[in-house]
Amino acid sequence: MSHLFEIDSLVHRYGSIFALNEVSLSVDQGSIGLVGQNGAGKSTLIKILLGLLKHTNGTVKVFGSDISQHSVGLRGRIGYMPEREGIIPGLNGIEYVGLSGELNGMSRKIALRRAHELLSQLGLDEARYRRLENYSAGMIQRIKLAATLVHDPDLILLDEPTSGLDPDGRAAMLALLKSLAQRPGKSLLFSTHLLGDIEHVCNHAIIMEKGKIAASGALDLMLESQLNTFLIRWKNKNSSSNDVYLAALKQSGAEVSLSEEFGQARVVVTDAWSKQQFFKLAKEAHVTLIGLEPEEIDLRTVYQRVVGYKKNLPPVISLKKPEVSEVNS
Amino acid sequence: MATSLAWFSIWPIARTAMLLVFRRKLFWLLFAVAMLSFIFTFGAIYLLATLKQELPQMARFITSMLKDLDGSGTTYLNFMKLQGTVMMILLAFAGSVLAGNDHSRGGFMFYMSRRISLVYYALGKLLAIGLLVLLITTIPALVLFFEYGLLGDMAEYFRENFQIVFGIIGYGLLLSLSIGLLLLALVSWMPRPVPLVILWGGLFVFLPILSSVLAETLRDSEVNLEESSWRLLDLWNNLYIVGSKFFGVELPLFYGAIIVIFTVCLFSITAIFFRLRYLQHQS
Repeated sequence: MSHLFEIDSLVHRYGSIFALNEVSLSVDQGSIGLVGQNGAGKSTLIKILLGLLKHTNGTVKVFGSDISQHSVGLRGRIGYMPEREGIIPGLNGIEYVGLSGELNGMSRKIALRRAHELLSQLGLDEARYRRLENYSAGMIQRIKLAATLVHDPDLILLDEPTSGLDPDGRAAMLALLKSLAQRPGKSLLFSTHLLGDIEHVCNHAIIMEKGKIAASGALDLMLESQLNTFLIRWKNKNSSSNDVYLAALKQSGAEVSLSEEFGQARVVVTDAWSKQQFFKLAKEAHVTLIGLEPEEIDLRTVYQRVVGYKKNLPPVISLKKPEVSEVNS
Repeated sequence: MATSLAWFSIWPIARTAMLLVFRRKLFWLLFAVAMLSFIFTFGAIYLLATLKQELPQMARFITSMLKDLDGSGTTYLNFMKLQGTVMMILLAFAGSVLAGNDHSRGGFMFYMSRRISLVYYALGKLLAIGLLVLLITTIPALVLFFEYGLLGDMAEYFRENFQIVFGIIGYGLLLSLSIGLLLLALVSWMPRPVPLVILWGGLFVFLPILSSVLAETLRDSEVNLEESSWRLLDLWNNLYIVGSKFFGVELPLFYGAIIVIFTVCLFSITAIFFRLRYLQHQS
């Protein structure tokens, strides 16, 4: 059985800027989350998978066919929901979704029937004859999703599907995506900044960083691989024993990241490591270990480790309330 | 679930573009203006037919005065030219609705992410523009032709003038194709309505005036005003010159007009192709 998509040495440049640089990736059917900072190359990758962008170099196969040669035909098996664009003002909901079906090869009658079904399922049955420019942000996202699903595609590509939604709308959208992802034979790939969304819906994650794949794999395995991380806290009688303890940990094969707070560190250890070693090394370095807890692992933690996100945190802006006297003056 | 050929997607694209235009009140206002001359001509033909029955001499007199109502090819040629004036105004305003909004408001991505290529998209939009042109020029002209025949000596008129139908259709298709390509090219580069109206006005108002002024001032004294090469700057006049040939009327500058129209069409196709390719990659 062929992969859902296979990418080999993919390069895409905008002028001299590499949007994607030597990306190689194979992904099987399922629900796939694509995560990365702005400019990481997520949208470019999605548009290349859709055949909208001609890549500079490399090969991209979707459902086993080369996208650069069969892009129009393959788009009949793919549904794409863009983040911001994709609305035709002046059309109503039914016309919009029906048109999407017709453009994907369905007859007008079947496309309209399917559009009615989908809009009912997505809670837009009362708004189906309303013009799209009068829809709220949540309704726009849902109508775009309906237009994406109308021809029952085998692969759904979603670019920031929860963008601009209120919490209730977001929860409803995620529940819907989750149910879509569970349909047999169907796959879903969505890009987002919201890591919780991916954990909620996906079973595979791709982390992108500066046009490259920083990590890719089954979400469970990704999280499991990060389980050997501990947060430790200690007290010491003199500062030299502090250095001795940290050096001993490193010598034993642990990766140590010191916290900003004195006497705290995050330690990543190997599978063979036992918790007793922390105490043993602490005793040898004359350090009193006062805290040892496994770090709670979620995709955010994995992402931060892979991308080194903490280094790029923006400065904290103080929102100090103005003094009453200043306001009065 | 996808069944039909991608070629079949041209019609939904055209239908949607026309639907968006039909939903504008301005369209119906301009359409009503365009229909005024049609109703006037329709009424005049009816009146002439009645006079021919009751006052044949009066009818002959009127026909000799109003050459445009004698039922010959020139009647329909000039009627279509007159309709074209309103059509130009209508297309200037409808251009941004027909295709411009796709570029300025993101609809282009909607089309491009479906099972169609740029060619189908462009053909769909061209079909929409062409059908609007036919709706205002060709269909009313055909109605007038059949009215003229049905109210007069039907069998004789249709037998002697059947080639006029081909003339009307030929001129209509020429207008649809050339105007459609030019409008789509301009809209692709200039999707906003105001700049589009200004440019369109420049092409079909300013250039004809300029061509008349240049023809008047720079022509040789021996050359007829209508034979001055400067008249080729007037695109609308070029279409009229080439269109006349479909009705068996040969006007001066025929080959020059063909070259200009052909060049404009070729330039438009190139402009459409490169712009849409660029927009597809940038969107």
